[in-house]
Amino acid sequence: MTDIWDEADRERALARTFTRRGLLVGLGQAAVFAGIGARLYQLQVVERGRYVPLADQNRLDVQILAPVRGRIVDSTGLVLADNEEGFRVILTPALAGDLTSVLRRLSHILPMSTEKRQQLAVRARRQSRNAPLVIASDVTFEQLAEINLLAPELPGVRTEITWKRRYCEGETMGHVVGYIGAVVKGELDADDDPVLRVPGMRTGKTGIELALEKELRGKPGTERTEVDARGRTMRALAREEPQPGRDARLTIDTRLQRKVLARLARERQAAVVALDVETGAVKVMASVPTFDPTDLAAGLSSRTWRRLVTIASRPMLNRAVSGVYPPGSTFKMITALAALHANVVTPKEHMACGGAFEFAGKTFRCWSRSGHGSVDLHRAIRESCDVYFYEIARRAGIDAIADMARHLGLGRTYPTEIALQKAGVIPDPDWKRQTLAKQWLGGETILAGIGQGYVAATPLQLAVMTARVATGRMVMPTLLQPEPDAAHEEFKSLGLEPAWLDVVRAGMAAVVNEDGGTGRGARLEDDRVRLAGKTGTSQVNRASSDRVQSEIDWAQRDHALFVAYFPYDKPRYAVAAIVEHGGGGGATAAPLVREIAETILAHDAERQSEVPPPQLPSAAPPKREG
Amino acid sequence: MRRMFSSGRPHTLGARLWRLDWTLLLVVALLAGIGVGMLTSVNGGSFQPYAERHALRFLIGLGIVIAMAVTPLRLWMRLAYPAFAVGVVLLALVPLVGVEALGARRWLGIGGMTFQPSEIIKIALVAALARYYHDLGPERISRPTWVLVPLLMIAVPVMLTLRQPDLGTAVLFACCGLGLMLLAGVHWAYFTAGTIASLAAIPLALSRLHGYQRKRLEVFFDPDRDPLGAGYHITQAKIALGSGGVSGKGFMQGTQSQLDFVPEKHTDFILAILGEEWGFVGTAAVLLLFALLVTMALVAALRAESQFARLVIAGFALTVFIYAAINMAMVTGVAPVVGVPLPLISYGGTNMITLMISLGLAMSAHVHARDGLYGD
Repeated sequence: MTDIWDEADRERALARTFTRRGLLVGLGQAAVFAGIGARLYQLQVVERGRYVPLADQNRLDVQILAPVRGRIVDSTGLVLADNEEGFRVILTPALAGDLTSVLRRLSHILPMSTEKRQQLAVRARRQSRNAPLVIASDVTFEQLAEINLLAPELPGVRTEITWKRRYCEGETMGHVVGYIGAVVKGELDADDDPVLRVPGMRTGKTGIELALEKELRGKPGTERTEVDARGRTMRALAREEPQPGRDARLTIDTRLQRKVLARLARERQAAVVALDVETGAVKVMASVPTFDPTDLAAGLSSRTWRRLVTIASRPMLNRAVSGVYPPGSTFKMITALAALHANVVTPKEHMACGGAFEFAGKTFRCWSRSGHGSVDLHRAIRESCDVYFYEIARRAGIDAIADMARHLGLGRTYPTEIALQKAGVIPDPDWKRQTLAKQWLGGETILAGIGQGYVAATPLQLAVMTARVATGRMVMPTLLQPEPDAAHEEFKSLGLEPAWLDVVRAGMAAVVNEDGGTGRGARLEDDRVRLAGKTGTSQVNRASSDRVQSEIDWAQRDHALFVAYFPYDKPRYAVAAIVEHGGGGGATAAPLVREIAETILAHDAERQSEVPPPQLPSAAPPKREG
Repeated sequence: MRRMFSSGRPHTLGARLWRLDWTLLLVVALLAGIGVGMLTSVNGGSFQPYAERHALRFLIGLGIVIAMAVTPLRLWMRLAYPAFAVGVVLLALVPLVGVEALGARRWLGIGGMTFQPSEIIKIALVAALARYYHDLGPERISRPTWVLVPLLMIAVPVMLTLRQPDLGTAVLFACCGLGLMLLAGVHWAYFTAGTIASLAAIPLALSRLHGYQRKRLEVFFDPDRDPLGAGYHITQAKIALGSGGVSGKGFMQGTQSQLDFVPEKHTDFILAILGEEWGFVGTAAVLLLFALLVTMALVAALRAESQFARLVIAGFALTVFIYAAINMAMVTGVAPVVGVPLPLISYGGTNMITLMISLGLAMSAHVHARDGLYGD
């Protein structure tokens, strides 16, 4: 019995303790809840005057301020691309409430077709409701004023000052300057700069706009504001000013470029590159057909854009740096230097050209049906004897030729601010194995020797090659004017024997100035300055080069090329030109280069007699009003 | 040992069902219903997917409660220690083989499904402590050795969850466990000593907080420090609540929620939306419902006639109280954001089910309250 009573006592003791403490806990929880209740009362009843306006009307807004884009100017300081102030209208769907009626009311001020309004409504649905939508980018001041006047009836709508790109030299500098366009998804993935997500942001697509995008863009700023439900700014909290982009000064003189283009435009599809051989500065970079970036900046209909992009003559293509062609005989200097360097030929060695060359059971023909007779290196260059070059190419081997080609600037892009360069092709057995999974054939070496077969280069590369041959240095092209106080370093030497370079150069001079030269059409009228060069005819269609070019369809004709440098005694400029489907290099491209060389020389003379060029306007853009 | 004064055991299923505390279940159902309503509004008027799932889970939970309630209490008593042991083992496995998500390691995966061992502990800790104090006589309750054991039982899960990191759950374990010890009758001296010790240890605790937890603390004291980041929740919640005024803006008329200003509006901050739409009237009503629920549970605990039953029911009351109080304090800005949901109202599957299992245990204790736990 004792156990049971102990058990019962225990139980009662525990129960009593529990009851006591349970009541305490109960009071405790009541107190806590009462405290919370008091807090709720405070927030919702006492202070509601403070929170209601906060909720209805205030919102923290962080806006990204787009920086002003840097300008592009030419070598004389002439403005090629700058920014025009404009106004645009932005709508935030989350604040607009009834989107359709707001858009309808807006269309009374800004002309908007029903289709456009529908498009906007669709776009608004697709993106986040808090993300702003650009309604119109080209608003007049009157429209701006009207919109601000009617602000209470246009919830979620606000106006902004914006900058629009202006291209001042149109078609002349279209390819060089390039144009800007809307940001593409691929760019967003590659670059996490927040300014790319600002609506209406534009980035460079071609030319200098693309190559110098980072420098031209600048750094965005931020602005924190409190805005009410209508989007009106209540107060500015903090602002970090954007940094404007840096201006870019080019090496090209627009007036010279314009003159060259005037001549070039007489051809259907052609390109010219002219370099200053001492500095590598690009003096001329022209390609026809060309285009006016202003048209693109204004906004094309998708139909016009599609036409521009798909038309066969491809005006958007900058042939000077993106056009890839077999260099034809303009390649022969490389073959010569490769053979000399490999010690498989001497300049005095004579070979017999009978018009044909047998190799591996195939016949490779010289352009001269009857052959050139006995040729040494000088004559071979002058008269562009294919047989001679077949033979020395065979002797030197493809690796030697490819090495020399790369040494002289072919087969690569240059690490410089020239956009959309193509690397072309300098073939060798490794390349063929990797690209075509096939073995190199001996016949391909000899074809490479005359710049045919797989060999391909751009006019820019050919100009660089010519500049390197002319100076014996590793000339590098550049489109940007160096700082005036920057030290000018000479390019490194190529390391080639001066004797070989002399022979090759003499041959090039003979091409233009001696009898029998294939490029006599390039001979300058002024005897005081001599031009040296090399013709090139690159086959488009093997069969057709047997026939008279003028009888064939234009698209089947060979391309005409010519490379040159002048003055011969003290080289200053290197030029490379191609006329697509122009037929013979000597017939078409050489006279073109003559005219261009004369234009350049005349322009130089003109500039010498001028007043010194005007001061470059200060780099900072004009201050914004208000 | 046989109890001599047991006052009638329910033998049949019908009798057991009759003994369920249906009024308490009604209060629970009311709160869950409010949850469904709020989730509909917060989702822009759409019943799917949140409101629907919430209602479904509640119904499943209700089924669990009834099923557990009609099961004899002694079964749960026998399972208490094993369940706790399993829970601790699983919890210990989490840092070793656990699944990581959202920067925290809280889950274990089995065959493509994940679950949180801390949920098991939520129920098993209460049951294990209740069992412990049921077996322990009043003369041994306050002896140091016998106080150390439950402290360890609490400390181990607390440490393990703190490392996950899951501050909210760790706080729940600590408060609930200590609350049960208090109710069981552990001497006051321990609690005063413990309070002094923990006050002294605050600096140490602060230094061991994770970066984001410390940030939350800083932001709690000064929300304007980071208005778009960590302070955003608090600021927006207060704005939403405060702007509701006395009677609120009306169902689905909450601008702050509809404009997506309040983050986590389905889960931790749902009270802010309720406050915006139903005003002080609404929030006070919810507060009263929770107070009522906790009080009813405590009263039922007082009436229970075995220590296990008392503590198990009290455990449920404490759980509801701790969650509700911390969540509401958080949403009104009087406590730092620790990520604790509002019971029965916040969306979140595991929480609802775990709470219902707790309730099932408590209900079983209530139904069999006059049982003899020893003997047949």
